[in-house]
Amino acid sequence: MQQSPPKFSISDLNLWYGTSQALKDITVDIEERSVTALIGPSGCGKSTFLRTLNRLNDLISSVRVEGSVLYEGADIYAPDTDVIDLRKRVGMVFQKPNPFPMSLYDNIAYGPRVHGIRDKATLDDIVERSLVQAALFDEVKDRLQTSALGLSGGQQQRLCIARVLAVEPDVVLMDEPTSALDPISTAKIENLLEELKKQYTIVIVTHNMQQAGRVSDKTAYFFLGELVEYAGTKELFFNPRDKRTENYISGRFG
Amino acid sequence: MRKATTSRPGSRHRAAMRRQGIAFGMIRGFSFMTIALLGLILGFILWKGFRYSNIDRSTLLPHAEASPDGLVLAVHGDQDMPGIDWEELYGMYTDEYINWSKLDQSDFDLVPVAVDPLTEDGARVEAFLFGSEAEGGFPLWGGLVEYAGSAEAALKVVAERQGAVTIVPAAAAKAFPGIKTVPVRRLAIAMNQDATEFVDESYLEDLTAQNIRDLLGGRITNWKKLGGPDLSVVPMAPPMGSALAAEAGRAGLTYPRPTVPQPATDMASYLADIAGTSGAVGVAYAGDATLAGIPLAWMTRVKTGWNLTLRYLLEPPRLSGKTGGISSIIANTFFMLLLTLAFAAPLGVAAAVYLVEYARQGKLLKLLRLGTETLAGIPSIIFGLFGFLFFVNILHFGFGLLSGSLTLTLMILPTIIRTSEEAMKSVPRSLREGSLALGATKLQTIFRVVIPASSPGILTGLILAIGRAVGETAALLFTMGSDYNMARGLFSSARGLSAHVYLLFAEGISFDKAFSTATVLVVVVLLFNFAAKRVIGRMHRQAAA
Ligand SMILES: Nc1ncnc2c1ncn2[C@@H]1O[C@H](COP(=O)(O)OP(=O)(O)O)[C@@H](O)[C@H]1O
Ligand SMILES: [Mg+2]
Repeated sequence: MQQSPPKFSISDLNLWYGTSQALKDITVDIEERSVTALIGPSGCGKSTFLRTLNRLNDLISSVRVEGSVLYEGADIYAPDTDVIDLRKRVGMVFQKPNPFPMSLYDNIAYGPRVHGIRDKATLDDIVERSLVQAALFDEVKDRLQTSALGLSGGQQQRLCIARVLAVEPDVVLMDEPTSALDPISTAKIENLLEELKKQYTIVIVTHNMQQAGRVSDKTAYFFLGELVEYAGTKELFFNPRDKRTENYISGRFG
Repeated sequence: MRKATTSRPGSRHRAAMRRQGIAFGMIRGFSFMTIALLGLILGFILWKGFRYSNIDRSTLLPHAEASPDGLVLAVHGDQDMPGIDWEELYGMYTDEYINWSKLDQSDFDLVPVAVDPLTEDGARVEAFLFGSEAEGGFPLWGGLVEYAGSAEAALKVVAERQGAVTIVPAAAAKAFPGIKTVPVRRLAIAMNQDATEFVDESYLEDLTAQNIRDLLGGRITNWKKLGGPDLSVVPMAPPMGSALAAEAGRAGLTYPRPTVPQPATDMASYLADIAGTSGAVGVAYAGDATLAGIPLAWMTRVKTGWNLTLRYLLEPPRLSGKTGGISSIIANTFFMLLLTLAFAAPLGVAAAVYLVEYARQGKLLKLLRLGTETLAGIPSIIFGLFGFLFFVNILHFGFGLLSGSLTLTLMILPTIIRTSEEAMKSVPRSLREGSLALGATKLQTIFRVVIPASSPGILTGLILAIGRAVGETAALLFTMGSDYNMARGLFSSARGLSAHVYLLFAEGISFDKAFSTATVLVVVVLLFNFAAKRVIGRMHRQAAA
């Protein structure tokens, strides 16, 4: 396989919430069209790290960031960065499904609409394509105009994935996307990831070791704001180099 | 027994249970009382609003004759008049009334039309109204009266012109198109002068229907029983076979036994008998008795009818609201609310957006919140004073819709800001993040996600605030004025429903109308509350889904 340049190239990233440091000297490359899993105990900074990639941490006024995050070679923390464009290209799926209180159709059309697409036929196309990609179309094709809040949790999460895909991103960030779902919905989303990684770069936070093992190509282990170990998933799981990684993994599988 | 059981183990517990039972009973009692009181108040207002019931004094019996002396009173076919008193009929032809406002509350000019008295039909009418000259009558035709050559000509005028009346032979009016005949009340109880004397500062009291039957039937034998002088009652029967006797029979008056040795055989001597016999009483035509100078007994009668009719809602008010309806006032209220909403909704929502989404949470914000809360608690009259000074005088808007609506806006703005703020705060952070993560700007997120998601809450606040605005009275009198005509523009003085209720009542214009307007107001407020409930209900259902 030919080595393509990394999608994200992060070096010496430090992040503070006020005076407490949440990320310490993170240096890592994230490869294109692959699934990168972030694991680690709760509160170790996985979500914080994920949110530095689409600058969603900007919403919190106390956050201070140092170091560089290069997306396709350009520093996204540079003053001239177009954050709107960045977020369009780096989509995000949250831990709890967060559909908007509107119809399924409007949920998916929301992104394209805010980016200026008005044409009804184009929107129809996008909605259908995104739903098909998110493996939801067959289940909901007859009720596109009903409220998204009427869907089951698993369907809602797939709707949120479809909503992200509708803006044609390049990277999809997922923060524990299945932690609030039942096993069947979880399996559906895991299968979906398999499909999506052919086209997108995916970074997923998970608490579930089996999930990380099943879906990811590379895994990063975070501990107390530090990136302890980053390697191919199999290698990290079966041949961890760091004692802390080994403890965490054996405890988890134990 | 109670005392004996106090030392036993379960007794403490039982006493506690008993106390609790009493407490529950009291709470239940109070809540039922509150509900009952509420029902009573609402029921009373609605009842008074829909029905009027006036006690009225009159010298006429309630019985109305369809065609007195073979004549009929004809009015335009659209006129709504179930019956007319003799005095009113007489007054129509003697310039006492110039329009219908006091007769049936419409505002047409009154046009009394008479058949030329030189014709045969005309002479009959003249005799009917003013008595024949043989009886000492003297025609007093008013200056407004228009004369027509024949009964048909007179009826034609009436059919074509609303507000016109005429008196014609019954046969002529029969099946005449476009007119309606009105029955006339002219039966009265005539008494001998002696019965009306003051005794020890006491005077004959107003008679009831039962009193009249008892007097004529001989069951009341002394005028003393009715507050009059100590004098025997001498009931007189109208001449046998006379029209009066027949009419009295139709009115339900009976004379069980002959009361004087020789009952009169003609009307003139009958009236002379009443005038000449001390303590005499008998039924008579009001006009005849008045002509003969015989006093009539006063009676109380209860007039009831519909107060709040469709007409009342659809007609504009007249004579300060004493007659007519409230259509223009309903319209003004509607304009006022619309204008207030147009100012208050965007301002309130914008302020809430600022407070929730943009303002830095700190001391200034706390101060701002304190300010809105204080404003919400200030009595509305203060807003009225401010509005009067600022909008009416300093800005020279004058009394009008604009000044009134701006004042109302200030009054309800704090409520709208508070409720909108709460609604927006309750929109989960995850929705905002979801939108921003899709590349939406903050403004797009606010307008497309936050405001729609909080719209049930915002709407509820708006409805409740408008409910408060619709009930506002004093502040509006200072700023919006009190013109009851439909507003013609932003600077046109206008009167809303509550101000109308207040003015009808405070200026003693019409108690009945005050109640019917109040009923409309209550219904409007109930509708607002109902709408708010529905919206809140929907919000809860959505939250549960
Ligand atoms: N908005 C915030 N303000 C202050 N501290 C925060 C905030 N979000 C997270 N933190 C802190 O940052 C650390 C990392 O949190 P997070 O990235 O959510 O961890 P994870 O996702 O791995 O569980 C934790 O100690 C947490 O308390
Ligand atoms: Mg997390």
